[in-house]
Amino acid sequence: MPLLDIRNLSVEFSTRAGTFRAVDGIDLTVDEGEVLGIVGESGSGKSVTSLAVMGLIANNGRVVADRMDFDGRDLRTLSERQRRKLTGKDVAMVFQEPMTSLNPCFTVGFQIMESLKVHENMGRAQRKRRAIELLEQVGIPAPESRLSSFPHQLSGGMSQRVMIAMAISCNPRLLIADEPTTALDVTIQKQILDLLLDLQKDRGMALILITHDMGVVAETARRVSVMYAGQVVENRPARDLFTHPQHPYTGALLDALPERAIGKRRLPTIPGVVPGIADRPRGCLFNPRCGFVQDKCRREAVPLFPDDGGSARCFYPLQVTGGVAA
Amino acid sequence: MFRFILTRFSLIIPTFIGVTLLTFALIRLVPGDPVELMAGERGISPERHAELRAAMGLDKPLMVQYGTYIADVVRGDLGQSVVTRTPVLDEFLTLFPATIELSVCAILFAMIIGLPLGIIAAVKRGSVFDHSLMGISLTGYSMPIFWWALLLILLFSVNLGWTPVSGRISVMYWVEPVTGFLLIDSLLSDEAGAFSSALSHLILPAIVLGTVPLAVIARMTRSSMLEVLGEDYIRTARAKGLAPFRVIAQHALRNALIPVVTVIGLQVGVLFAGAILTETIFAWPGIGKWLIESVSRRDYPVLQGGVLLVAAVIMLVNLLVDLTYGILNPRIRHGGH
Repeated sequence: MPLLDIRNLSVEFSTRAGTFRAVDGIDLTVDEGEVLGIVGESGSGKSVTSLAVMGLIANNGRVVADRMDFDGRDLRTLSERQRRKLTGKDVAMVFQEPMTSLNPCFTVGFQIMESLKVHENMGRAQRKRRAIELLEQVGIPAPESRLSSFPHQLSGGMSQRVMIAMAISCNPRLLIADEPTTALDVTIQKQILDLLLDLQKDRGMALILITHDMGVVAETARRVSVMYAGQVVENRPARDLFTHPQHPYTGALLDALPERAIGKRRLPTIPGVVPGIADRPRGCLFNPRCGFVQDKCRREAVPLFPDDGGSARCFYPLQVTGGVAA
Repeated sequence: MFRFILTRFSLIIPTFIGVTLLTFALIRLVPGDPVELMAGERGISPERHAELRAAMGLDKPLMVQYGTYIADVVRGDLGQSVVTRTPVLDEFLTLFPATIELSVCAILFAMIIGLPLGIIAAVKRGSVFDHSLMGISLTGYSMPIFWWALLLILLFSVNLGWTPVSGRISVMYWVEPVTGFLLIDSLLSDEAGAFSSALSHLILPAIVLGTVPLAVIARMTRSSMLEVLGEDYIRTARAKGLAPFRVIAQHALRNALIPVVTVIGLQVGVLFAGAILTETIFAWPGIGKWLIESVSRRDYPVLQGGVLLVAAVIMLVNLLVDLTYGILNPRIRHGGH
């Protein structure tokens, strides 16, 4: 039984301009101790998906799914109170902007110990010991003195380490990291990524790593889901995805990696942007930007076609049409 | 923190000098001279006139007059009332507790009602409650204070007979002034019923005086809260699995209070301005009524000294507010980045 099992999840927001479907019928499964990468451009619904799993969708959003199980428990039927017992304990999250994700009015120690106070039955002294331990684990020097620091006294990398310490404080079984390195310096990015992977391995927790950086996925994930405009367009083990992408969007994302463009005068890009609320095309959602578009793609919505080793949402997958990805 | 207090305190000195210049100029800009005004309709002889001018130091150059004035102020001598012949400072100190009592009750009323209303409006943004509260508070903010006072008196004092019309306490009671605050003094005294009399006298003026601050605090709390509720760290707090009440009352409110406290501090000026009208309408024996009477009696030393003292109090309160700021906001307490 997978740890997280989601079938046909949709998230809709009612806005002034009408209903906007940010996530459109996606399936996700994560096994115990597995690393799943979710990639896609900004606006492809990656973050909304993770917020839906956390139960943090705002009031104007509506979450529907055929199945939404965590460890065999149906998340859809839990009361808000029961749901909160899971959130922050068994399922935890690290966000994109470490500098603004910590509350500026409270000390680092308070913010870490707060989770422990809510979820674990620990005394004051015990919580403090645990907080120091956690800061040590995420590689913060002089952890004891850092407890009384305020967030504005920390650098971006330090803040993200604190966020990670907070997230793992109650030994979660699933950690969702939403673009955890995007806001950081390149030199720090690698350190934070390594830290996340080390913690994942040591603790055997499952990790969903959300990113728009194919390079990050290549280094970390065993399995990858590619999202586009709220849909999963391709599922595949990481190795196969990089060597034999099936969906033209995946191919285009890989082509846009600088290391694959050596010898070219210009870095290949994908023209246009992800469709928003007003300009959703008919048929395949990627068709206006696709280099291999056919008439059928403009007419008919595309289901996810299973193939050997994965699935792709395309009538004319790259290998079959002979389209060249690299 | 100590450096912060020191810098903030040093800023008060130029402001205070500015205020002394203003109050000093105020008297000198009045058409005619004080001696003639004191003499009244009948007038006085030129010799007596010159004598009085010399006695008041008005025959000296302006710079010298200002110097003497400042020297007096520094010594705590603000002159004496032309009418009652008692030192201005003594009169001020006698009347000031009444104004403090009224103002403190007014601002407490405004905060106790305004903060929760603003928070609820922000949490239930866009609801009927939110829209009606914002509409009502705009009305409260723009209402003429004297008209509002008269309406309340008409309803509660005249028609319903629930509260007295004016004064601080019923004439039936005599309470030994210990602190100057009647609510406390009446509790200390053994006069039965004195406290409830003092309280019933205080309610209407406090509501009238607190109305504008209430509206301002409610609106400010709402907008500040709305901004904070959209911050990333609120999402983090919810991601920890904290109960909604804790997220709002602790994580959001602490941040949202910072601008609200500034606004509350600024309301002190509004309170004193409002106290002038409120005290006059309710015959409340405080600073506001005292200043208005000094104008109509042309009691210039009282006016000059009174304005200076009120300005000093406002500056002091604002200093206190800034210090509170340091407590609420760690970024100020611990210096910048």
